[in-house]
Amino acid sequence: MPLKSTLALGTTVLALFGTPLYADTTYPLTIENCGQTVTFEQAPQNAMALGQNSAEIMLMLGLEDRMVATAFWPNEVLPELAEANAQVELLTVEFPTLESVLSKQPDFVAAMLVTLLGPDSKVAKREDFHALDIPTYLSPSACSVTEVSGDIYGARADLWSMDQLYKEIEDLSRIFDVANRGEAVIEDLKAREAALRDRFEDREDLTFLVWFSSPSPQDDAYLAGGNGPSSYIADLLGGSNAIKAESEWPTLGWEGIMASDPTVIVAAQVDRERWTLDTAENKIAFLQSDPIVSQMEAVSKGRIVVMPGAATNASIQTIYGAEEVAEQLEALDLSE
Amino acid sequence: MTASVPNGSDGSMVRLALLSLVSAVVLACAIAVATAIGDYTIGLGTVFLAITNGLGLTSATLPPIEESVVWDLRLSRALVAALAGAGLALCGAILQALLRNPLAEPFVLGVSAGASTGAVCVIILGVGAGSLSLSVGAFVGAFSAFGLVALLSNGATSGPNHTILAGVAASQLFNALTSYIVTTSGNAEQARNVMFWLLGSFGGVRWPDFQLLLVVVCLCLVICILMARSLDAFTFGDEDAAALGVPVARIRLLLFAVTALMTATIVSMVGAIGFVGLVVPHAARYLVGPMHLRLMPACAVVGAVFMVIADIVSRVIATQQTVPIGVVTALVGVPFFAIILYRARPQA
Repeated sequence: MPLKSTLALGTTVLALFGTPLYADTTYPLTIENCGQTVTFEQAPQNAMALGQNSAEIMLMLGLEDRMVATAFWPNEVLPELAEANAQVELLTVEFPTLESVLSKQPDFVAAMLVTLLGPDSKVAKREDFHALDIPTYLSPSACSVTEVSGDIYGARADLWSMDQLYKEIEDLSRIFDVANRGEAVIEDLKAREAALRDRFEDREDLTFLVWFSSPSPQDDAYLAGGNGPSSYIADLLGGSNAIKAESEWPTLGWEGIMASDPTVIVAAQVDRERWTLDTAENKIAFLQSDPIVSQMEAVSKGRIVVMPGAATNASIQTIYGAEEVAEQLEALDLSE
Repeated sequence: MTASVPNGSDGSMVRLALLSLVSAVVLACAIAVATAIGDYTIGLGTVFLAITNGLGLTSATLPPIEESVVWDLRLSRALVAALAGAGLALCGAILQALLRNPLAEPFVLGVSAGASTGAVCVIILGVGAGSLSLSVGAFVGAFSAFGLVALLSNGATSGPNHTILAGVAASQLFNALTSYIVTTSGNAEQARNVMFWLLGSFGGVRWPDFQLLLVVVCLCLVICILMARSLDAFTFGDEDAAALGVPVARIRLLLFAVTALMTATIVSMVGAIGFVGLVVPHAARYLVGPMHLRLMPACAVVGAVFMVIADIVSRVIATQQTVPIGVVTALVGVPFFAIILYRARPQA
């Protein structure tokens, strides 16, 4: 069932019975978030979303009238949220300045990355807002990585799962006192996740290579590795990540990529305009035209699929990306 | 460079007092402008009261967010910029004297590159955590770069050109190391953040950074002023300095350490900012002459003003996002660099 109808049904049920399915939030609300205890005196009315995922969760919860602004969008907004998003001011698709965030007088700040809100962030530290009695919330997916050498984002000890995202949706829906909407969104996503799991048999020989982007064809490519969302998508669709590196975002030269010999190459469509190879179209053109790379089995057999780059970040879009890959995967001939 | 005998006549004292007053006023104005403008439009009255509140002179009731923007963000940032500019300019002046080379500065000699490598090691390889270890990492890196330059140029005794060449080699080596660390452990977003940081940014600084930098820069400025006569002697060359009774090796080591300390502290806090150390000492010499007793304070003030203005420019160029400060200083610095190169060409 698509989200909209689920929400509509939920609202209808509510209207019929006149009692909420889920308890209203009682304030002051205290939540544990990424090692900090945050207290909310009331439901936020002017929320600031730092990062696409934080913004999209709020929009999914129907909170556009309580959002003051958003910033940092690596990709286009989900089509079904475009209309709601148009009602919210956009500061910048890149990193904003703390001053521009404060100028919107937010009464709540939610962020998706430690680079946007964290101890070493050049944008803001949580204390900057807490000193002004503005509560903050950091995505559990962002702080679930362990501090290990080799990556400021660390590496995940366990495979990322949607459970962290469900926790985030649940927390945010309680903060805004829309627990019933949060539950509806989570139910919808869980159903879609289960459907994908049921659609594909586990296959030992099925590996995915997720190519995020490259500064140029000669440069090492940024790939999705480790135990991040891309590996979760591969697992959901019955396969595994061809890249076994522990780092969440390893870089690899084409010789190494060819050696990993993936069954399927996932070309990410990254909407920012930083590098030519951000677009899936240019990635595919390179894969097919390069005399050496085009000899990879995945390329010569036409097993290239496209996925939004936002799906590679731990976010709502991860499940959307998985669904898009699933559609294309079923159309491919995976016999050796 | 010729050293004029300092004269303590009344005329020069008055001129010096006037210069000090003018530079203090200019610096205060630059900092005032920096606290008054930004993405958040705040009335000048509020800005003024926020500062007087912060200084404990008034206790006006202001919107807390506006007060915090002025006092916690803009003012701390402007003061850190001022201190960083002063520190880098002092480093440039010291190195230019020690190496007898008008082109010497931390950036050119690879010290900044070394400090960056050290800091990146701490950030990415997780060698310890917290701002102190970042500074320590940068300090070790800066000192390693110095050591390498000293080694390659026989303790800077084999002539200024040698030292600059050694500096170029050290820069290349440490930049390559930094790139290697970033790319092999990288992630698209992380690499971008590190690169942004390498170009310098005052985005993340707060009051504790100011306190640390204030101690370091003041300490180094005092040492520089105490060493002013030795620095004057160094400009004639090591042998002449020794003949004038300067303990060459010890003083050289001390001043190199001072330079490394300042560069490392600044780089670990705001990233590598180039050309300030190169441009400012020349501008300051033009104002007060080559004697280091006057040159050092002048460098500090001119550097501070330059950096505060550069930071204002970097914030105004693009609203709501930041342009790395290193971009602005290089845009001003490179043409200046060319002029010095042209003027320093050998006379046929």
